[in-house]
This record gives sequence, C-alpha cells and structure tokens, in this order.
Amino acid sequence: MTSYNPNTLPKNDNLSRFAFVVDVEEEIFIRKGKMVAFYGQLQFESLGSSVVDILIKEAFNAPAYIQHFIIAKGHGQLILGDNGNDIASYDLDNANMTIKAKHLLGFTKDIVCQESTMIGFLTLMGTGKILASSNGPVHFLDLPCRVDEQAILGWADCPSPSYRYDYAHVNDLLSLVGVMTGITLSGEEKQIDFRGEGTVLIQSSELALGSPTLGHLLSQLPALGRNELNSLSAAVAQQITSQNR
Amino acid sequence: MSNFRINTDRLLEVDLHNEKVMAISGAMVGYMGTMKFEKSLLGGEGLFGALKRKVTNEGLSLMQTTGNGTVFFAHNAAEITVIPLVNEKLFIESSSLLAYDDSLKTNTTFAGLRGATSGQGLFTTTIEGYGNLAVFSHGNLITLEVDPKYPLFVDPDAFIGYKGNISQEFVFDVNWRNMIGEASGESYQFKFTGQGVVYIQPAER
Repeated sequence: MTSYNPNTLPKNDNLSRFAFVVDVEEEIFIRKGKMVAFYGQLQFESLGSSVVDILIKEAFNAPAYIQHFIIAKGHGQLILGDNGNDIASYDLDNANMTIKAKHLLGFTKDIVCQESTMIGFLTLMGTGKILASSNGPVHFLDLPCRVDEQAILGWADCPSPSYRYDYAHVNDLLSLVGVMTGITLSGEEKQIDFRGEGTVLIQSSELALGSPTLGHLLSQLPALGRNELNSLSAAVAQQITSQNR
Repeated sequence: MSNFRINTDRLLEVDLHNEKVMAISGAMVGYMGTMKFEKSLLGGEGLFGALKRKVTNEGLSLMQTTGNGTVFFAHNAAEITVIPLVNEKLFIESSSLLAYDDSLKTNTTFAGLRGATSGQGLFTTTIEGYGNLAVFSHGNLITLEVDPKYPLFVDPDAFIGYKGNISQEFVFDVNWRNMIGEASGESYQFKFTGQGVVYIQPAER
C-alpha cells in the first residue's frame, strides 16, 4: 500500500478514482465540504466575505450557487473527495464547458462561472482547470446525440441542447390513454438533444449524486410492498424527530 | 497469522488453517471449506473490556470465524484495505473496522475532546500486536504520512485511523465553518503532528 507525503503526492492529478490532489498556489474555487485533508498553510474563505469579493465579481457570476462554493488560498496540497464518487479534471484552453451544477467540484480563478440557460447547469469559460464528480466513470459522446436527463454530466464546445420528446409510438386514442395514465411509458421519452459539433459528457449511472447510503436506499425502494413502505415511512419520521431533539 | 487478501477492492479473502479471525457480524458473504461462525459476546476483551465498550459507545458487534479453508468478507460494496501490523498500535474508528486476526488485541481509549459533535464519540478503538486487519472505506483508503516538517489537517468525517507516534488535536477555524456548511454543524478540523501515518477515506460520513 502506497503512503503519500507532500513530496510524493501527485500534483493537480487524481490520487485514485475517488480522490484528487490540488496543488494550491493561487486562489481556487471549491465546493463546500469536499475537502478531506490538506498539507501546508491553507485558508478557506466563504464567498460572502469581503476579502475575496473582488475575485468573485470577476470569476463567479452565479448568485444562486454562491452558498455552494468557497475559496481556498495559501500554499499547500489539498485533497478532495466526494462521497466515493469518481472525480475527473478537465483543462480549458480559451474554451467553454457547461456542467450540471451539483457535479461541479472546483475550478481555478481565471475561469468565469455563469449560470447556464439550462436550469441547474453552470457554464465555465476561459483558461484553467475544472474538477467534476460523477457516479461512475465519465464517457464522452460525439455529436449529434441524444442523452438521458439523469445521466448527463455536461457538454463542451457545442450549441445549447434542447429537449426532445419521443412519442412516436402514440398513434391512436388507446395508446394516448396509455401514455396519459403512465402505463405504456418507457421512461425514456424525455431526451436531451444535441446538434452540431462538440462533445457531450455522461456518467455511467442515472443516480443523482448524494451519499452512497441514500442512493442505496432509494434503489431498494421498488422492492418494498405497501406495508413495508408504511413502516419505513414511520421509521423515517421517528428518526427525524430524534435528530431534531 | 492468517493470510488476508483483497479481491477486486471490495472483497476480502482470508485463508484459515484452524485459526480464528474476528469480523463484524454479518460481513461474511461466502466461504469454502469448513467454517464455524459464532457471535463474540466479549470481543476478546474480557468482561471489563466489553463493559467499557458498551459504556463508551465504541460498539463493535463481532463474530468469530474458525475453521479450515477460505472465507470471504464484504461490507455494502465499500472498498477494503488490509493493514498489516508488526507489533504496532493502530488507532481506528470502530465504524470502519471489518476484520482482524485473533492475535491482535483491541481496546478502547479516550481520544480527547474531539468527536462531541462529529458523532464519533469521545472514545476510539485501539488495536495492537502482530497480525493483519482489514478496514473498509467509501472510496479507496488514502495513507498520508505525517512528519514534524509537515503536519496534516483532516476533515473529521473523512478520518479513519492513524498509526505511529502522532498527536491529534482539534483546531477551531472560524473560516472552516464557512467551508463545511452542509448542515453538519462542524467547525473544526483534526491536526496531526509527529511521526507516522494517517488513514482517511475520500468521502465524508
């Protein structure tokens, strides 16, 4: 088993699938709570504090997400982890990339971050490094392509996508009734449609990011019957009450 | 000392030749040969040790496995790492322990005023002697060296254990509060100084 010290840690690279080391020399934006350890002298500033306001004015232009990010500054090596999700880094060279906001882990200060017109996505422009996490490894697709809304991670160098509804099988009244009641839906009717040139990034699962425990629990739910669901719901309510105490 | 092997990161294989290993209850996923699984009431710590564990809330529900053959352990598809101990003492969160050689001795010690709000309690588990132990983590375990020249800071929720001549203190950082945020209510970090290694997982509990 390899053990690391500040001299042997990778520089701005993955330590494993699930951990990434950032060599902090200048300010970098990172998601709150994703730091697992660090060597050296690092300070963490929230985006609301006055010291870093000038930087935010230029780099962080997404007020809805200001609570989700902090700035790390100083000198040292910062290890990031995201609940056992895969972490990957992307280099931007005077380019742009749009990422699902929940998956964005960090970006360097010369990148401008703005809200995308697609709700829940952030667009990053400029030159620097972006860190993003995904449930399982990331796959790259060439355009044109259509992807599932839950599996999409982001896209780069291509026009904004649009939704496409695939109801080709709805051709008479009976199948319309089937669709309206949800009986004949395959669950893949709503797709994100990409045209033109560029790259689309998808993760290898349709699970949203979250704690592994929650993802596991949710994936088990369909197996439960009505009585079991009722007792689960009662247990959850009890747990919430005891945590509020 | 029985042979501990990791199979594809998430499965622990242990070869037994009339030997005994301790593992958390319910961790067995399969075995080859003849094996016997018994609930370990006192966890090999005697009546007083078991009582102390109960009182300090460093609870470990253990079973002992004896027999001939190979036994497989796993825990919720978490990544497993084997740490060999050569007459050393390891401090570890009991919630991360999967299995250990019967030759190792476990105990509970006071860990200092650290876990009062992190939910890890004021006490921690020590394990010492000569033998193998296996820990599980969300994402592969990371081993970080600590040296007088470079102290290490760790998120309490990512901490798993440490080994060596290390002192652990918790540092209160006003800015840290801004960083954690995520409804955890924590505003401190662990600082490790001295000489040794610290084990962390790339995830918060």
